[in-house]
Amino acid sequence: MRAWLLRRVAAGIAIIFAAVSLTFVAIHLAPGEPFLPPDERPMDPAVVARLRRNYGLDRPLPVQYLRYVTQLAHGELGESFSQRRPVAQAIAAAVPNTLLLTITALAIDFTLGIAIGLYQAARARRRSDAALANVTLFFYSLPTFWLALVLQLVFGLWLGWFPTGGSTDPVLHDSLPLFGRVVDRLYHLALPALTLGLVGAGGTARFQRAALLEALGHEYVRTARAKGLAESAVLIRHAWRDALLPVISLAGVALPFLLTGAVLIETVFSWPGLGKLAADAISARDYPLVLGTTLLATCAVVTGSFIADVLTAAADPRVRLTA
Amino acid sequence: MTPAFARPRRIATLLPALLVVLAGCRGPGGCTTEYCGTVVFAATGEPSTLLPVVSTSAVERDVHDQIFLKLAEIGPDGGTFGDSGFVPELARSWEWTDPLTLTFHLDPRARWHDGAPVTAADVAFTFDAYSDSVVGSGDRASLGHITSVAAVDSLTVVFKFRDRYPEMFYDATYHMRILPAHLLRNVPRATWQTAAFGRAPVGSGPYRFVSWTPGQSIELAADSTHFLGRPHLRRLIWRVAGNLNSAVTMVLAGEADAVEVLVTPDNIRRARADTALRLYPYAGSTYTFVRFNLRANGDRSKPHPVFADPEIRRALVLAADRPRMAQTVFGEYAKVPPGPMPQLWSWLWKTTLAPTPLDSAQAARLLHGRRLSFHLIVPSTSPTRVQYAQLLQEQYRRLGIDVVIDQVDNPTLQQQLESGKFDASLESFVTDPTPSSSVPALWGRDGPQNYGHYANDKFDALVRTAAGAPTRGAAQAAWESAFAALAQDPPGVMLYALDNVAAVNRRVADVRIQPDSWWGLVRTWRIPPDQLTERDRAGR
Repeated sequence: MRAWLLRRVAAGIAIIFAAVSLTFVAIHLAPGEPFLPPDERPMDPAVVARLRRNYGLDRPLPVQYLRYVTQLAHGELGESFSQRRPVAQAIAAAVPNTLLLTITALAIDFTLGIAIGLYQAARARRRSDAALANVTLFFYSLPTFWLALVLQLVFGLWLGWFPTGGSTDPVLHDSLPLFGRVVDRLYHLALPALTLGLVGAGGTARFQRAALLEALGHEYVRTARAKGLAESAVLIRHAWRDALLPVISLAGVALPFLLTGAVLIETVFSWPGLGKLAADAISARDYPLVLGTTLLATCAVVTGSFIADVLTAAADPRVRLTA
Repeated sequence: MTPAFARPRRIATLLPALLVVLAGCRGPGGCTTEYCGTVVFAATGEPSTLLPVVSTSAVERDVHDQIFLKLAEIGPDGGTFGDSGFVPELARSWEWTDPLTLTFHLDPRARWHDGAPVTAADVAFTFDAYSDSVVGSGDRASLGHITSVAAVDSLTVVFKFRDRYPEMFYDATYHMRILPAHLLRNVPRATWQTAAFGRAPVGSGPYRFVSWTPGQSIELAADSTHFLGRPHLRRLIWRVAGNLNSAVTMVLAGEADAVEVLVTPDNIRRARADTALRLYPYAGSTYTFVRFNLRANGDRSKPHPVFADPEIRRALVLAADRPRMAQTVFGEYAKVPPGPMPQLWSWLWKTTLAPTPLDSAQAARLLHGRRLSFHLIVPSTSPTRVQYAQLLQEQYRRLGIDVVIDQVDNPTLQQQLESGKFDASLESFVTDPTPSSSVPALWGRDGPQNYGHYANDKFDALVRTAAGAPTRGAAQAAWESAFAALAQDPPGVMLYALDNVAAVNRRVADVRIQPDSWWGLVRTWRIPPDQLTERDRAGR
């Protein structure tokens, strides 16, 4: 167990280091520079030169890289060029929003996906199964941003049921009591979380259905049925537990998809989270902020995968965490 | 016609209504007077700083124009000649002591939002800051004619000029928002670009800064004791939408009350169909053009193989069917400019100048059967400019000219322009209220934004004459000659000058839009008591 843990931690650090290094090189080699405002009044070149000097961008790339890595080793993420405040501060403000969005989306994804998968497996090869298979395939194959735009148009603009953007109502939020603030938050969360959740649920449902159908063919299920257990008990208590394991693994893999999806969703819904922060940072060539968000996303993915492994081991006594 | 979906949208607002009720349960609410309104602006971007001296973008200007004041502001006629028509702001009055000396008397009632009085020392400090290369203000060059600004006493400040010219008063007042010396004096100027003051500014304008939630919103509150009069709107909120489409969507969904530009005919049509909105057309301060690089792509020491030849440049102007393109993309909301000019300079549109007409036959003659090819860089974030590039590509293809469109993001486009690594670029430029600064800056031989290295001595001389013309009539004639010279030896193709259209919620009355500073007159807007909604009444 300890050897497995050490190995996973070492691999995790290596992955994080590689991701940050690759991003560092990629963003610095990308065309375009920070401090060059578009279309508006361009900054005085002397000021741009001074800013570049202040932030060390006039130094050779290897020197900048070493400086960044040293800074990182001291827990410093640097200062954002575009937000003009420490990167850690900008990220700290965005993380709760992204966590709220992705956790809610994950809850929608798995609750809905597992429920549909269960329903389909219980009615395998019937008309309702086929219909749901088409529906889940439809959502699974939808581009996230497209679904976001459609939901925004229909439920935000046409029907006016939900806000089209933002995370709170800027006029009312501060004057609301605590309960009102929670309602306001959930109200703004609805469309972005539903978008991410629906696309994920399409995949989860298909995965769950396949895993359940496989589990239902096992000997122990036949034994359970032979013992005279009700079909629902066979499905839920016996087959489902077995079929849940691949879905739990899927949760770990789902995190990167949710984070990348969040970049698009947060941009479409002006949701002030990590994804929008990263997209804006890339547009502004805000190197420290791009690196900071990459670092955090990589850590989240590595941690998610680690948690999924631990959960799988907890759910399945056959799995042992060994090196 | 009201779209079918408009009605259910208005009805299906149970949850927002619940929020309003909840808000009413707690906040002070109950405001029913003339001074209760809240207006939410949909912002297409987020400011980096609200310190005016280092701000560069339109959204930054929109916000800091409410927080800071100038000595005097351009009047409704938009005149920049002499001082007639200018409206007093921090300066109560002024006089010319001699032709090169201008004395301002500050309004003794003016106060900073922290309670300190606004003094002549603040004005002198502001000039010093705007002129300081360490601060790096974009307006520094515009103050080059002023030799000194000195405080005589706490309320009297004297500007001395290097030379005499018609826009002396404009230069003294337009470019600088007066800054609080007592709060900024000890902040090292090299750090002003990132100073904390820029995230929580203290000004002397009709609105004071309340809060800035990064990525979400900026809130200002009316200064109810402001010396220029109490603003009618109690709260102003800028909601960060991120881009034009999101901003327009927010306004159409009723989540914001105003958006300053709609840009595309489709957005204008959608806003017009919404009965909750009223549209306000106003003269645009932007013009869009294709700039030719007269030096070789990436090597400034050599002439460009295509664009160094004035005949080819002229042929490219003649071959572009600009009126048709403007009609196709913008309908009635754009004009083809006869020179590098936005619609904001309305007096220049009254000249006899006309855009070079389409003449494909003449263009073909000038090309002498040469097969040309060049790359055109276009910002990928602007669908209208991408569409224009494609239309140009098609028109030039018929003459045997191969245009390769390179869609790049804005930082890349700016970098390519500054490094000279481009053949031609499709750009827009936001101008000042006068051509005297932006025309030479873009097209003059030594202009800081003359990225195409255009050089035309005759044009430069005519621009100098125009900028020094004593009256608007004389200036009009001189600019006409300058633009005629430019048309003979074109530095690019002037494509279109937009008519801006703003959309504002109908419950807001007395909406006036200042073309050079869109929300500059918000302090005059109001929401009549009978139009107030619960959202207006709720709040701090």
